[in-house]
Amino acid sequence: MNQFPTSATQPAPTVAAAEAVIQLTGIEKVYQTKTIETVALNQVNLSIQRGEFVSVMGPSGCGKSTLLSIMGLLDEPTSGTVAIDGRSVTSYSDRELANLRNHKIGFVFQSYHLINDLSVLDNVELPLLYRSGVSGKERRQRALAALDTVGLSARTRHFPSQLSGGQRQRVAIARALAGRPEIILADEPTGNLDSVMGEEIMDLLLTLNRQQGATIVMVTHDEQQALKTERIIRFFDGSQVN
Amino acid sequence: MIRHLITLMWNRKRANGLLIVEIFLAFVVLFSVGSVGVYTWRNYQTPLGFDYQDVWEIDLNPGTQPRAEQFGTLQRILQRLRSTPGIVSVSRSVSNTPFAFSENSTTLDTGEGTPQGYGDVYDADAELPEVMGLRIVAGRWFDRRDDAVSRRPPVVITELMQRALFPDGQSAIGKTVRASLGKPEEFQVIGVSGPYRAGGELSEPRPGFFLYVSPQDTARAMQVLLVRVRPGAGAALEKRITNDVRAINASWEMGVNPLPTQRLAQLKVNLAPPVILGMVCIFLIVNVALGLFGVLWLNISRRRGEIGVRRAMGATAGNISLQVLGEILVLTTFGLGLGLLVAAQFPLLGVMGVQTGVYLTAMLLAAGLLYLLATVCALYPSRLAAGIQPAVALREE
Ligand SMILES: Nc1ncnc2c1ncn2[C@@H]1O[C@H](COP(=O)(O)OP(=O)(O)OP(=O)(O)O)[C@@H](O)[C@H]1O
Ligand SMILES: [Mg+2]
Repeated sequence: MNQFPTSATQPAPTVAAAEAVIQLTGIEKVYQTKTIETVALNQVNLSIQRGEFVSVMGPSGCGKSTLLSIMGLLDEPTSGTVAIDGRSVTSYSDRELANLRNHKIGFVFQSYHLINDLSVLDNVELPLLYRSGVSGKERRQRALAALDTVGLSARTRHFPSQLSGGQRQRVAIARALAGRPEIILADEPTGNLDSVMGEEIMDLLLTLNRQQGATIVMVTHDEQQALKTERIIRFFDGSQVN
Repeated sequence: MIRHLITLMWNRKRANGLLIVEIFLAFVVLFSVGSVGVYTWRNYQTPLGFDYQDVWEIDLNPGTQPRAEQFGTLQRILQRLRSTPGIVSVSRSVSNTPFAFSENSTTLDTGEGTPQGYGDVYDADAELPEVMGLRIVAGRWFDRRDDAVSRRPPVVITELMQRALFPDGQSAIGKTVRASLGKPEEFQVIGVSGPYRAGGELSEPRPGFFLYVSPQDTARAMQVLLVRVRPGAGAALEKRITNDVRAINASWEMGVNPLPTQRLAQLKVNLAPPVILGMVCIFLIVNVALGLFGVLWLNISRRRGEIGVRRAMGATAGNISLQVLGEILVLTTFGLGLGLLVAAQFPLLGVMGVQTGVYLTAMLLAAGLLYLLATVCALYPSRLAAGIQPAVALREE
């Protein structure tokens, strides 16, 4: 069932931890530059349960994006441990982390981060490209299915520059879905969109959560959106406040 | 993954157009220069067919001596040389001696509309094979039997000429061949020799044939002698020869040119163009390398976001490295593809009559060199790209 590498030295997951898809313990993130030291995250303990839709809120600069990067294994905490499915990833190699990101996590960013020189379909296939044992045909099929889910079946041959902001974000969501990850990490997915398009994206995420059981962690500045999720985590100056 | 790279680079062909054109041009130039180089190298590797060590060329100039007396003086000089210790053998020749910047060529055929052989004509006496170490592969060389005047004077042809005139493989010995050299138009083949590439190592190997100069010939081969000396002969012998000639007739002037010296002088002149071309190539390669490096550098700083996304989607640092390398190799392939379209015309059209093998080798060399160049140029940028922190790259913009 686990498609990512496991290590024999790791303890078997406890029953309680098995419920938590992501478990952060004592996370600290300090950015050290020549002159200043920024504490972006300070002693964060957090667990995200399977199937939850969690929103993360807080003022600009309080560490929300940093939190998502660490949850998504894109960045390492200065101290503390991250556990995915009950297994600490502290000792994982670059390859193992990449493999975990590939299989378990889908990312959605505020500025979409689509590759402009690839068609919509090629963009959506991207995560599957880094997965071994997926044939070209299967990649195509899965990408088309993901595009169907976000309602963009008619735009597969377009390029990102030919799409509206809302459509681009839907492509980005399709890309996050193509690898069928359990977790979707979305950093202000509606931040660049007007309220109508933002609503569309929000509805899409809600549907994914309810119908496909995706675990979603979403950073947002929109109180209305946050209220639609199951749990709101508030941050201030690198620490959780509720 | 390769398809992905090709798609990506194809979609970016406009942005990378200049680089593709640069690689294309570099390929065409490298291919051209490579063809010259391979051609030259192949010729260099082909046997000369003679041994130039310990052979001297002696140039004679009768000066003011009346023409009628010249033959007698030449006879005496030959006699003296042949009896000089240190001299092994002497042959009368004309100006197209080995490594001289002089050639004499014409066409032989066996009759109207038959295969032709175009190549060098040499005037030669009975001693030439001994002096030059020329090999006889069939029939015989000229000797006394050939002194009698005949309707069809004797001719010895080289193997290449034999192959050109008788492609079906039958022996040339005894056959009549024709050349438009003046009076006698028909000759009889008495022997086949190995190659005799008097044009030197860099000359194109081509057919040739020898016309007989009998000892009584008073018209041809009067002013140039080829002399085989004993190994180690030097200034002392040269001085002795000079004095002997002067003693025989004071108005004659002479010069001694050892063939090894002539060979080096000729090589120097003939190698100059390839060497200059080679230097132009090096300049070009440096230029292309800088271009490749610059484009890669720029690409990476422009595409940090994309690199971040790829990492987020599951790419390892190694995948990113390979991506950068792969992209540049794909671009190189595009440029090479265009270049090959041009280069393929050379063997297809048979430009310059050079063998197809030369062009194919040059193509492989040029392509290999450019791939190598692209790989080397991508090494550092690809490591740089692999080191980009995804979290940092993704927050930019
Ligand atoms: N690479 C870095 N180097 C130095 N400081 C950094 C770096 N990345 C983030 N920071 C700092 O860490 C803090 C948290 O940044 P982060 O981007 O996580 O905030 P945020 O909550 O996502 O803000 P916003 O709502 O504006 O996106 C900020 O003070 C930021 O300046
Ligand atoms: Mg942020």
